[in-house]
Amino acid sequence: MELGVFIAGVLLSGLRSATPLLYVLLGETLTERTGVVNLGVEGQMLLGAFAGFAATVVTGNPWTGLAVGALAGMLLSVVHGALCLGLKANYFASGVAVWMLGGGLSAYFGISMVGQRIDGFAPIPFGALAKIPVIGPAIDQITPTVFLALALCALTGFFLYRTRLGLYWRAVGESAEAASTMGIRPLWIKWQGVLAGGLLSGLGGAALSVDYTRNWIEWMTAGRGLIAVGLVIVARWNPLLALPAALLFGTTEALTLRMQTLGVNVSPYLLGTLPYLVCLAVLIYGYRRARSRGGMPRDLAAVFAKTE
Amino acid sequence: MFSNRLLNLTWKSLALGAMLSAAAVSPALAAKPKVGYIYVGPKTDFGYNYAMDQGRLVVEKKLGVKTVFFENIPENAEVERVMERLINQGFTLIFATSYGYLDPALNVAKKYPKVTFMHGGGFKLAPNLGTFFADIDEVEYLAGIAAGAASKTGKLGYIAAHPIPQTLRNINAWTLGAQSVNPKITTTVVWTGSWSDPTKEAEAANTLIDGGADVLSMHVDGPITVAQTAEKRGVMVTGYHADASKFAPKGWLVGAAWNWGELMTKIVSSVEKGTWKSEHLRGKLSDNYVKLTGFGPKVPASAKTAIAAKEKAFKGGADLWVGPITAQDGSVVLKAGETLPMAKIESMNFLVKGVVATIK
Repeated sequence: MELGVFIAGVLLSGLRSATPLLYVLLGETLTERTGVVNLGVEGQMLLGAFAGFAATVVTGNPWTGLAVGALAGMLLSVVHGALCLGLKANYFASGVAVWMLGGGLSAYFGISMVGQRIDGFAPIPFGALAKIPVIGPAIDQITPTVFLALALCALTGFFLYRTRLGLYWRAVGESAEAASTMGIRPLWIKWQGVLAGGLLSGLGGAALSVDYTRNWIEWMTAGRGLIAVGLVIVARWNPLLALPAALLFGTTEALTLRMQTLGVNVSPYLLGTLPYLVCLAVLIYGYRRARSRGGMPRDLAAVFAKTE
Repeated sequence: MFSNRLLNLTWKSLALGAMLSAAAVSPALAAKPKVGYIYVGPKTDFGYNYAMDQGRLVVEKKLGVKTVFFENIPENAEVERVMERLINQGFTLIFATSYGYLDPALNVAKKYPKVTFMHGGGFKLAPNLGTFFADIDEVEYLAGIAAGAASKTGKLGYIAAHPIPQTLRNINAWTLGAQSVNPKITTTVVWTGSWSDPTKEAEAANTLIDGGADVLSMHVDGPITVAQTAEKRGVMVTGYHADASKFAPKGWLVGAAWNWGELMTKIVSSVEKGTWKSEHLRGKLSDNYVKLTGFGPKVPASAKTAIAAKEKAFKGGADLWVGPITAQDGSVVLKAGETLPMAKIESMNFLVKGVVATIK
């Protein structure tokens, strides 16, 4: 029973804290499936977090906040697209530029938003479900953004593997050259991938500020966008694996915090590295098993191998 | 963006300069210091910077001096440039409020011996540079009384950035205060590893609440995320740095806050009168440099009485760090009647019995 409570608690708090990350992870997965890498998601998350929070302050409606945050993230994608698709700049350089731009813009315009109060989403009335022992109280804390992220996970999976456009995206990611002989316009598809990624990254940032923390402070994502970029590899570029990958990180982080509350006699500094170690271990294990690109789109492999 | 603000300031100060020269016949007015404030973060953070800016507003109101502030100034050469700009515009007293401003302030102070510098919390002096700070642990103790009295579960939760003497001091004081009304109180601590990481602060708060804690407190840059999360989950919270009750109207108990206005007014008027001297100004509850914020609705009347009595005792010179105090592992820190010397307090490296946390 005690163990049951513990595990349920860890899983649910993992899901709770992994939710903003899951959006970004899905977004970057989509972008990379079209053969483009975007390190700028950190900046897009930040701009989304700021814009979403500001919109919620102004309108009082957290849904508007999510929408505005998503749009802000997409807007920054236009910069990344223009640099690396339009001007053929190096993906990594362009991504870092977007990262810094998003961070700087959000910090500057966000000064007036520091210390503002928002109410976020009202709790979902779960009724009888919330009364189930052990998991009930945890279920009670699930907010709309958690459901939205789970739905998007299924939706992007369906899109990539079950729709014609999804097939085009994957084709472009595998080989833009081959795709163009099939009559697909790779550049246009890559643009779509970049824009979709920005939309989801902005949404993830907004979920963080509007729903999870109900707070805005400059650079509040603290590197989580970059973690999402790393987790794409752990999830092997598969949106359906994005959920377990995000959960892996989220639950390990939740677990390390929970271990502190149990008085486990391990240095808090050491515990703090655990989420990264676990993800690294999974990555190594996954690579050893696959003994291949680990699901990496073929054109992406070219990006990593030679960065023009 | 930054230069825009400076430009704006230049115009204002030009206009002011014209006014001042017109009024130069009155020596009293000419002697009024112009005071510049520099903050490392936004002044609306409901944390450290907010508290400093509240002090600035008091100075303006009480002394009628001209003040100006700069926020979000990083702790590097940038802050030296800001100081020089202020000096060029005739500012004669500069409050460098962030710890990392100490060395830049010393550099600039050397170049401009006629300008007075006050640094927040440092331990170096120059002929024209002094430091100011206050001890807040007595107020943490008082807030702890409210937490201990209001808690139903007897489990308190504390979210702190790093296990360093300053945080250990606050955690211990808060816990001792709570235990003074309910000896069975335990405080569970979660270290977030960062002064500002709202995601971890929210997760830590959730974790503590899941574990049964019904009163939270924090020692991180801003109290907002923890207060918001506590309110969302229907538990209580005591604050740090400033009054953040608006983020938890139901669950806010009380907060330990800085009261820089008092100290800053003293400093500015000493500069005005020419009695300022270079020293480490330190104060505590009895000096009114720190204070309790207003009470929230859930503080029991008995706790308010206990807090008032203890506050009076502290102001009358009673010692907080007085034995018997037992450490986490049961070892004796202080025997009955013993007190902790200042050096030991400032380098605190233990947690008191009843605190659940690992510090190494």
